[in-house]
Amino acid sequence: MKKYSILNSRVPRVDAVDKVTGKALYTDDIKMPGILIGAILHSPLAHARILNIDTSLAERLPGVKAVVTHREAGTTPYGVSPARYDETIFCHDKVRYVGDEIAAVAAIDLDTALEAVSLIKVDFEELPVVLDGRRAMEEGRPLLHDIYKNNICAEVHWHFGDIEQGKKESYIVRTDHLTSKMQDAAFLEPQSVIAEVDSHGNLTMWSSTQAPHYIQRTLAMALNIPLHKVRVIKPAVGGGFGPKASCSTAELATCLLAIKTGKPVKLTFDREQVFLHSRARHQFFHTMTTGVKKDGTLAFLDHQCILDGGAYASFGIATIYYAGSLLGGPYRLKNMKYDGYRVVTNKPACGAQRGHGAVIARALFEVQLDRIAEELGTDPIELRLKNVMEAGETTCNELFVSSFGMREALEAVRDSAAWKKKRSLSGKTRGQGRGIGAACGFFVSGAGYPIYRSRTYHCTVVTKVDDVGGGVTVSSGAADIGQGSDTVLAMITAEELGLPLDDVKVISGDSNLSVDLGAYSSRTTLMTGAACRDAARDVKRQILEAIAGVLCVPPETLDLKDGKVESLSGELDFSKIREEYLREHKGFIDLPNELCLTFREASRIAFLERGSIVGVGMYRPPPLGGSFKGATVGTSPAFGCSAQVAEVSVDLGTGEITVENITGAHDCGFAINRTQVEGQMQGSMMMGMGEALMEQIIYDKKGRIVNANLAEYKIPTAMDMPHLEAIIVESNEPHGPYGAKEVGEGAIMPVIPSILNAVYDATGVRIEELPLTPERLVAAMEEAKKKPSLQENP
Amino acid sequence: MILPRFDVLVPESLEEALEMLGEHADKGVRILAGGTDLLVDLRRPIIPVHVPRCDGCAKHPGGMVYSTIDCELWLSEPTAHAGGSLRNALQDSRRISPQYLISLHLLRELKGIKRLDNGSLYIGATTTIREIAHSEKVRRCWTALAEGADNLGSPLVRNRGTLGGNIANARPAADMFVPTIGLNGILKLQSLGGERLLPARDFASGPGLTVIEPLEILTAVIYPAPLSYSGSSYYKLANRKALEISTVGVSVSLTLEAPDGPITDVRVALGAVGPTPILAESAKGILLGETPDEPLFKKAAQAIRKDARPIDDHRGSAWYRSNMVQLLSERLLKIAYIRAKRNK
Amino acid sequence: MKKLISLNVNGIAHELAVEPRRTLLELLREDLGLTGTKKGCGIGDCGACTVLVDGVATFSCLTLAIQVNGCSVETVEGLTKDGKLSRLQQAFVDHGAIQCGYCTPGMLMTTTELLRRNQHPKEQEIRKAISGNLCRCTGYQKIVEAIQEVARSENEEI
Repeated sequence: MKKYSILNSRVPRVDAVDKVTGKALYTDDIKMPGILIGAILHSPLAHARILNIDTSLAERLPGVKAVVTHREAGTTPYGVSPARYDETIFCHDKVRYVGDEIAAVAAIDLDTALEAVSLIKVDFEELPVVLDGRRAMEEGRPLLHDIYKNNICAEVHWHFGDIEQGKKESYIVRTDHLTSKMQDAAFLEPQSVIAEVDSHGNLTMWSSTQAPHYIQRTLAMALNIPLHKVRVIKPAVGGGFGPKASCSTAELATCLLAIKTGKPVKLTFDREQVFLHSRARHQFFHTMTTGVKKDGTLAFLDHQCILDGGAYASFGIATIYYAGSLLGGPYRLKNMKYDGYRVVTNKPACGAQRGHGAVIARALFEVQLDRIAEELGTDPIELRLKNVMEAGETTCNELFVSSFGMREALEAVRDSAAWKKKRSLSGKTRGQGRGIGAACGFFVSGAGYPIYRSRTYHCTVVTKVDDVGGGVTVSSGAADIGQGSDTVLAMITAEELGLPLDDVKVISGDSNLSVDLGAYSSRTTLMTGAACRDAARDVKRQILEAIAGVLCVPPETLDLKDGKVESLSGELDFSKIREEYLREHKGFIDLPNELCLTFREASRIAFLERGSIVGVGMYRPPPLGGSFKGATVGTSPAFGCSAQVAEVSVDLGTGEITVENITGAHDCGFAINRTQVEGQMQGSMMMGMGEALMEQIIYDKKGRIVNANLAEYKIPTAMDMPHLEAIIVESNEPHGPYGAKEVGEGAIMPVIPSILNAVYDATGVRIEELPLTPERLVAAMEEAKKKPSLQENP
Repeated sequence: MILPRFDVLVPESLEEALEMLGEHADKGVRILAGGTDLLVDLRRPIIPVHVPRCDGCAKHPGGMVYSTIDCELWLSEPTAHAGGSLRNALQDSRRISPQYLISLHLLRELKGIKRLDNGSLYIGATTTIREIAHSEKVRRCWTALAEGADNLGSPLVRNRGTLGGNIANARPAADMFVPTIGLNGILKLQSLGGERLLPARDFASGPGLTVIEPLEILTAVIYPAPLSYSGSSYYKLANRKALEISTVGVSVSLTLEAPDGPITDVRVALGAVGPTPILAESAKGILLGETPDEPLFKKAAQAIRKDARPIDDHRGSAWYRSNMVQLLSERLLKIAYIRAKRNK
Repeated sequence: MKKLISLNVNGIAHELAVEPRRTLLELLREDLGLTGTKKGCGIGDCGACTVLVDGVATFSCLTLAIQVNGCSVETVEGLTKDGKLSRLQQAFVDHGAIQCGYCTPGMLMTTTELLRRNQHPKEQEIRKAISGNLCRCTGYQKIVEAIQEVARSENEEI
C-alpha cells in the first residue's frame, strides 16, 4: 500500500475540540435578535376528513405573528421520489396519521405559540383506519390516497435468471419468514429549523438536515420560490441516520412563517415530534424461499416482501427496491425472484434509515443460510465462504463489484472470535444458554443516481488557496452529520497539498457552496472524497506551475510535501522568492527561515503570479446498472461488505438476552481515518443490536404511538453493549479515492442476523418476529417444548 | 417539553410546608420532590385529544383538548369531575395542571438514612435513590431495597429521584415501592394535626392513586429491623439493562428460625402485575413453619403466581408476566433463603 | 411571578429572576447563553442535558431553576481550565469518543463526577455510570475506552 502522511491515520476529528467544549453550534443553539418561535398543530386522529379549520381565535391571541394552514401554504404536492409526490405542506383534505400537520403558528415565544395552536379549531369527520400493513392491500380496505389503488404506493416484480431451473438444481429448499416493527432512528438531536428572509427576498434556512441540496429543491418547489433564492445551511447536526434526509413540514412551515412575518423564525421538535415525523425504518414482512445444491452452492432465492410505510411515500420507493436488490450480493446467486409491495397505512411515514431497505431482508436471508447449513450439516461460515463473490464479478441483477473483501472479512471474524473452537463446542451445547452466530452483509457505496432524474454532478468541491498564502479553504455542500465527512475532506486535502491538518479549513453543508447530494446512501467519502482530491490536485498543479515559472524549472520536478516545496531534481534556488516574501512581510516576526521553500511562501508567490488560486473537483458516477425497471436502485460505483460474529448468553427462564461480544469486519476499501471507520462500525453494531433486541414503535388501536419517548422506545445503553471489536478490511476500491468506499451503513447489515443466529444457538429456537424481546423468546421456547417434533435440533 | 404555568413554593420547615398545603389545597397543589415523575407528568402535550361531539351534552361540545391528563380517562369517569368531596377534587387535581408545587428540597429533616434505637431503618422521604443505593447499611440488612435502588431508572434518575416520590407516585412498577412492601415498610404521613403510620402495603389504591389525605405529606419510611436469619432480594425484569420500567418486579424477604429453618416469616411483593404493587398473601400460607427446600419454593411460587393480576400492555403480556412472577418468585425465595442463612 | 435566585455557574455568581416553572436547562441555554448543554428529550430519558449541581450529575431538563437556588452548577463550558482541555476532554478527542457530539457534553459531565468519586473505575462501573446517557453514534466503545484511559492514570486531575 502507498505510504501516506495523514491518510489511514487516527487523527482526531476536526470538530472534536468544539464538541467537547460545548462550542459546536447546533441549530437550536443559534440565537438571532427578534426571533419568533414556531409551533405545529398535529392531527389527533389517524384518519379523518377535515371539514373546517378555524384559526380566528389563534390569530387574535396577543403575541401571535402568523398562523398558517393549507390556505397560506398552497397544496403543491411534494415528496422524495418525483413519481410519488403525495405530501402537501399542511393537510387540506384529510389527515392520514396521528401527528399529521394541519397548521403552524409563529409567536413571540413558545408558550404563546403553543397556546395559539391549542386555539385552532378543526372539525373532523372520522374515517376508518388502516393500521395493519399486511392487510392494507385487501379489497375493500379504506383508502388513504386516491392515487394509490389498494393502498399500494409501489410494487416491484423482478426475475433474474431462472428460479424454476434453480429449484430443479436444489437439494434443499426451505421457506422462512421474518417480520419486523417500525423503528426510530433515535438520533440525539431533535430536528430544529431557523428560517429568515432578507430584503432581497432570499430565503435562508438553517436546519438539522442530512441533505441541504434536496431540501433546497423541495423548499423552492413547494413554496414556489426560484431555486437560487433558497439557501440551506446545515449547522452541526446531532445525528441523522436517514430520517433527516427528507424535507419535513417543520422545514417548510418555518420558511413559510418567516416569509409571512418577515422575521426569523425557529422551530424545534420536541422528542415526541421526532417520533411523529418519523421517516425512519419501515415495517417489513419478508418471506423467502431459498434453494441450495447438495454441495452448498446457492441455487435460487424467491423473495416476497410487504413494506408498511405509513401514511406517505417519502423514501419508500427506494426502500422497496433496496429490499430486493441488495440480496444480489455478497453471494453468487444466479436466480433471484422478487415481489415487493410498499403499502400505505395510517401511521407516521417511514423513510430511509441506516442500511436503507435492506436490513431485515438481509437478516432473514442470513438466518436461512444458517438453517440450510444446519440441514446440510455444514459449518455456517464454511457455507458462506463457499458462496461469496470475488472482485470483478457481477450479481444477477447487474451490480458490478469492483473490489470485494468479503472472504477476508469473514475469515477475519472467524479467526478473531475463535469461531472454530466456540462453534464446535456449541454444537454440543445448543440450547443451553450460550450461543455464537455469524452473518454477512452487502451495501452500496453511494447511490448510482440522484433522487430526481438528472445527469447532475453528485457533488462539487471548491478549494481555494488563501490569497495571503499559507492555508487553504475547502468549500463543499457535503453534510457532516456526525459521521465525520469534514474530517475526511480535510485529511484528503492535507495529504494532497502536504499541509498540516490545521492549515486546511473545511466549510460545508451550505447549498450556496456547491451541489452535494448529501449524507445518504453512504456516498460522501467515495464521491465527495473524490471531488475533494481532484480539487486539491487542481490547486497543487496551479501552485507548482506558478512556482516552476518563477524558478524556471519544469513543474513536474516539483512536489508539495510536509509544508514545503520539494524538488525532485536537485537543490532549488528560491532566494528571489524568499526575498520578495520577506519584503512583503516587514515587521512580521514569524518569518520563514528554513533552508527550503515553504508552502506559505509558495502559495503567496503563486497568488502574486496568477491571482486567486482556486481548484475545482467534481464527481458523478458513470452510467451504472441494467436496463430493467428499477435497475437504478441498488447501483453504486462500489460495494462494501461486512461480516460479523456475535456471542450471546440467554437466561432460559426469563428470556433475557445478554450480548457478550461482537466481532465485526468491514471492507471499506481503504480507511481514510481508521478511528472513524471503527466508529461507524461500532455505531452500526449498536443500532443493529437495538433493532434486533429491543427497538419497536408501538401503536394503539387508534394509531397513536404508545412509546414516543426514549424511556419506552428502547435503544441500548452502555450497560447493554458488550465490547465491540472492529476489524478493518481494505480491498482497495478502484473507483474510490485512494481505494476508499463506504462504511456508514454496510456495517449494520450482519448485526441482526448474527445475533439471531447466536440466540438460536443458545436456545434452540428460531424467532420470526423482531425485536427479539425476552417475552417472544420465552413464548418460542414454550412452544418448542410443546412440540418437540418441530424442534430443529432435537 | 414545556411546563404549564405554576408557582413553586419553597417551605423552609415541614410545618410551613403543611401550612402551605392547607392554604392552597383547593387550588390544585402537588408536592415536588425529585421531580423525575411529576415534571414529566405535568408537561404540556404536543398532540391534542380529540373529543367527539356528544349530542345532548353541553359539557362535551366536541373538539380538541390539550390537557396534561388523559382526557379520555377523564371523560370516562364522569364522577371524577362532578364535584364531590375534597378528596375527589384533589384526586382530580393530581391529574390536571396544579397552580402550586410545594418543593421539599430545603427540608433537611426529610433527608437521610438512619438506624433507630430499636434497630429499624428510618429513611427520610426526600432521600435520593442514589443515597439508598450507596448505603452499606441498607445493602447489608435491607438488601431488596438496595437492589431496587440499584436498578431504578438510570444513574441520573437515581441522583434526583427520591424514595418518597417513588412511593407517593404509586406506580404499580415502582422499584422502591415494591421492595418497601416486601420489607414491610411503614409510611410516616404527617399533617398539621399530627402523624400517622401506615403499612406501605395499604397505601396505594390504584395506578397513581393513594390513600394519602389531602393535607398530608409522606415524610419518611420506616423499615423494621430484620430478625436474625433474615434475607431479602429484589429482581427487576426488563428489556434492557438500564433506563427501564419493570415488566415485572418481585421482592422477597424471608426469616428463618435457624439456618436450616423453619421459615418464620415471609413477604413476597409483586410489581407491575396489578393496578398497585401486590403483597402475595398465599406465600405465607405455604411457607410459614416449613423447612425450606426446592420443592417447597416451587410450590410457593405456583401459589404466588395466582396472586398476580397482570394485564396485557405494551411492556408485556399477562401471560408472560404471570410466568415470570412464578419463575422469579422461586428464584428469589432461594436467594433470600441463602442470604437469610448467613445473616445471624 | 418571577422569583429571584442566585447560583454559581462555572465559578461565576449569577442572580436571576426566573419564572417558577423555568428549568435549569432553559436557564442555562436561554438566560446564560450556555448552549453547550443540550436538550435531547426534555424528560430525563437521554442525559444530554446533564450538568453537575453541587458536584452531582443532574439532568437539567427535569430540575427547576428554583430548586438549585444557592447551588453551584458546572457545565461543559466549565471543564476547560485556562484554555486547556481537561484530561477527560482530551481523551474523548484522542479516542474518537465523539461523533455527532450531541451526547458529548452530558457524557463528559456524568463521567467527570464518576472520576471525582472513583479515580479508577472498572469497565463495568464506567458502563453503569453512563447508562443514563444515551449515545446513538458510537456504540459506547470509544467513550468507554476514553474514560478508561483517564481512569488508568494516577494523575488526580480529571
